[in-house]
Amino acid sequence: MKILGQLDGQMNGICNAIRNCEWDPKVMLTNLSIMEEKIHQLQDLVHLIVGRRTEAVKGSEELAAQQQQLINADLTSIIVQLISTAGSLLPSAKNTFSSGNPLGSQLGQPGGIGYPSGSSITGNNNVNKVEDHSNQIDLIGNNVEEHDQKDEEEVDEGEHLPPGSYEILQLEKEEILAPHTHFCLICGKGFKRDANLRMHMRGHGDEYKTPAALAKPHKEMCSEAPLIKRYSCPYIGCKRNKDHKKFQPLKTILCVKNHYKRTHCDKSYTCSRCNTKKFSVIADLKTHEKHCGRDKWLCSCGTTFSRKDKLFGHITLFQGHTPAIPLDENKGMVDLSDHGEGNEAPSKVAQTDFDFSSNDFQNILDGKGIANDDTRIFSPLDFDTGSLGGFSDFPRPPFEDSASSLSFLISDACNYPRETGRSSISNNLG
Amino acid sequence: MKSSSCLVSLLTDDLLVNILDKLSGDDSATKSFRSVCKAFHQAESAHRTSLKVLRLEFLPTLLNNYTSVDTLDLSDCPRLDDGSIAALLGGDTSIDLSWTRRLRRLVLSRCVGLRWAGLELLLGSCTRLESLDFSSCGGFGDREAAVVSCVVGLKEIEMDRCFGVSDFGLAKIVVGCERLEKLSLRWCDEISDLGIDLLSKKCVFLKHLDISYTKIGGESIRSISTMQRLEVLAMVGCGLLDDVGLHHLQDGCPSLQVIDISRCNNVTSLGLTSVIRGRNNLLQLRAGHYYFELSTIVLNCFMGLNNLQTIRIDGAQVSEHVLQIIAGSCKSLVDIGFSKCKGVTDFGILQLVLGCFRLKILDLTCCDKLTDLAISAIAESCRNLLCLKIESCNMLTEKSFGYLGSCCFLLEELDVTDCSGVNDEGLRHISNCSNLKSLKLGHCINISDKGLSNIASKCSNMIELDLYRCKGVGDEGLAALAMGCKKLKKLNLSYCIQITDEGMQCIGYLKELSELDMRNLSKVTSAGFSYFASGCMKLAELDMKNCDNITDSGFLALSCHSKNLIQINLSYCRISDVGLYKLMGNLTCLQDAKLLNLTNVTMNGFDLALRASCFRLKKVKMLALVRSYISMETLNFLQARGCKIKWD
Repeated sequence: MKILGQLDGQMNGICNAIRNCEWDPKVMLTNLSIMEEKIHQLQDLVHLIVGRRTEAVKGSEELAAQQQQLINADLTSIIVQLISTAGSLLPSAKNTFSSGNPLGSQLGQPGGIGYPSGSSITGNNNVNKVEDHSNQIDLIGNNVEEHDQKDEEEVDEGEHLPPGSYEILQLEKEEILAPHTHFCLICGKGFKRDANLRMHMRGHGDEYKTPAALAKPHKEMCSEAPLIKRYSCPYIGCKRNKDHKKFQPLKTILCVKNHYKRTHCDKSYTCSRCNTKKFSVIADLKTHEKHCGRDKWLCSCGTTFSRKDKLFGHITLFQGHTPAIPLDENKGMVDLSDHGEGNEAPSKVAQTDFDFSSNDFQNILDGKGIANDDTRIFSPLDFDTGSLGGFSDFPRPPFEDSASSLSFLISDACNYPRETGRSSISNNLG
Repeated sequence: MKSSSCLVSLLTDDLLVNILDKLSGDDSATKSFRSVCKAFHQAESAHRTSLKVLRLEFLPTLLNNYTSVDTLDLSDCPRLDDGSIAALLGGDTSIDLSWTRRLRRLVLSRCVGLRWAGLELLLGSCTRLESLDFSSCGGFGDREAAVVSCVVGLKEIEMDRCFGVSDFGLAKIVVGCERLEKLSLRWCDEISDLGIDLLSKKCVFLKHLDISYTKIGGESIRSISTMQRLEVLAMVGCGLLDDVGLHHLQDGCPSLQVIDISRCNNVTSLGLTSVIRGRNNLLQLRAGHYYFELSTIVLNCFMGLNNLQTIRIDGAQVSEHVLQIIAGSCKSLVDIGFSKCKGVTDFGILQLVLGCFRLKILDLTCCDKLTDLAISAIAESCRNLLCLKIESCNMLTEKSFGYLGSCCFLLEELDVTDCSGVNDEGLRHISNCSNLKSLKLGHCINISDKGLSNIASKCSNMIELDLYRCKGVGDEGLAALAMGCKKLKKLNLSYCIQITDEGMQCIGYLKELSELDMRNLSKVTSAGFSYFASGCMKLAELDMKNCDNITDSGFLALSCHSKNLIQINLSYCRISDVGLYKLMGNLTCLQDAKLLNLTNVTMNGFDLALRASCFRLKKVKMLALVRSYISMETLNFLQARGCKIKWD
């Protein structure tokens, strides 16, 4: 792929040369030597492939197809170059060329090699852009795989994109784990703030430098050229890694982040209720906590069930088995405020209680009255994409602590928000 | 004197026991019996098997004296909580706890302060318990149910209104108490089909199941239909139940004898059909409050119910034909309820009583087409009638009561509320039914002291008398009542506006009185009220709403004398801060108070009164605007004790 990128760059150089000046034997010579170099490179590549095939006969078809496509692409670019070099000799072609006619429309008809007519709609502009890209890529130093223009038309939005039909981006481990929320759609780099991303985008080309682009989110820009991007996991040997035989790309940056954390990171978030389930993605923890104790149906024999009816079926079947009822909770007090929920009630009530109180508390602190519910606006810290409420990053107070029956509700109402409120206070003061 | 004591000593223990058996239920008689001599006292102590205590502090002594007690009722105990249970059972090892092993039945109903820890302690020692009632313990949840499930010998469990008990708690109980024969789950709306399904599979000995007012559906009925031994099934007010669900019952539950599907709004006569079809051994059918017409299919099913003893189809549309069929096929009926049924006519009743001459209970409330003819037929045919309810039958005249008085000598209960035909002459006739225990004369505006005197002079067994809005009744009538009906326990004098202090003074002579409604008696002042309070020592429930001439001195008298008062309604009374504080503080059994619109009580007064009684209160009703003036501490404490506060 890398090679292809270089070739493309060179081809563009040639095109420029053709466009800029009249027929020049010197230029022609340079072009020819470049083409010769390319053919040699291609030859080396094919040699390499042949060597590998003899080594591992069982090589998967997918890999073979990939290689074939690679070679095809290279050949195509050589042919394109050849024709354009030859075309520059013809007066008529020269005219159309200088008038900015699409390169591909000419090529598509005689060659029938399948050079997509769609991609050439943007014509010369596109060529320029690609050039810019390659520059930028060097500049940023990100290992971004070059986009293969040829396949753009064949884009399949379905689940099984053919390999090579999309651009593969691979973020570094550090990049994935950084608590970023804004990602560059071109190179995948993450930023904490959108403003920083927009500053970064200026490096991707002049079109990002306009006041409009700097002021607004870049959505309008991408509508121009919706490039299909898929992501690769940087973990070598992972199925989501682009070098894997059965590589399955990830769809979005969020997917990359969640996948990497889930599969290749330590599970550092422990559920404060069951103290057993651990998660590496905070959103997973939140989802679990919503159902923790409720969806985890436990029998006295220790068997757990995902569904209540399964548990009851089990109890029906086995003599003497009963559903386990959590014992370490302060029942009495909470049942008064909520008769409805049985043994789940305490945690639930407590939860809603400090939810409200924390908001109230912060509203009072900020003097905003019934202000925004979003706790994030009060916090100077940047939270993970997964964290919905701001206070989730703080350790929850264990329910047992506030168990001294009477003060239960009150203590929650005053103690807890103070913890979350800390950030908001500091925010206001500083 | 000496000879009499010798005579008494001649009575053998067997004879004493026989006498005591005859006396059972009559508290004052038993009390007199006990005080005759030591032997009688011992016999009584050994004979008594059930005990209902008001004060927990006397419990150990009582239980040591009454060595045969196997039934203990703690439902009216204030202050019952984990701590008091621990004090009762634990701590001092010298206390004799043998009573715990004797107990077979324990009633913990309305013990809102009790939690699992106390319950565990109590049930842990009552190892031979067979029956447990913890209904209306709103704070009870699965944890408590788990504790209950450890008493493996339990055969009967009543847990009505335990809103916190879910399928898990039920699962614990049904797995733990496998020998369960009776289970009542009224209002346990956390119970779902899953729990009932498990119940039906685990408790194979279950005979009696009450799932009224729960949220169960057709799936539960499918599970229940597999229970072979089930005899009694009550499903009152199950709104999620429909004809399809009831259809599952058609071929199941072969032992079923009693079915109650009243107030199931989604059930039609089709559902009723599938329930009763082919059940020859059905004894009781209760399907009231449907408001639909009994179809011919249902009637055909009725024909097979030869052994039916009770039928209640309140609110249904019946016809003479229906009554004819019922009378023709269900010959053993003793209890019939046609309350609010449309289409009940004289002719229909005539046919009914001709067939069902064994009738003992007849409820014809609001069957307003009935005339004297119907009553005469009933009186002629049903000589064994015990209970007749003819509220709002306005076509009846005094002649009806003449028939009743001349034929139904066994009549114990008569409800003639709002019958305009009841006058003094009518009461004179009614008084011939000298066995009357309960007489309801509410809204009978044509009666006066004269009629009441007749009743009082002849019906000496009267226990309950309702004179609600009997404007003609005054002090003289009450005087006669006090002379004649010494056993009266329940009396309603609300809106009998003629009653003055003199009348109240007379009521003070009713030593057995435990419930009194005296709303809006504005001629009664503190003086008369004090006299009444000092007389009726057994008073447990008092409704004195709107008695606006009774002042603090009256309430102080009440607080001194009515130590057994459990429930009081003081709304719209002229009680002051001091009076309320004294009342709430001194009445050591008070658990339920309604305190609306007390204009002479300051906000501080409420707080003080609540503080004085917060250990005991189980239920309080107050105006919502008082809420903000009551300290957080008090409120929290009340709630922690399980007290239910209703803000009006």
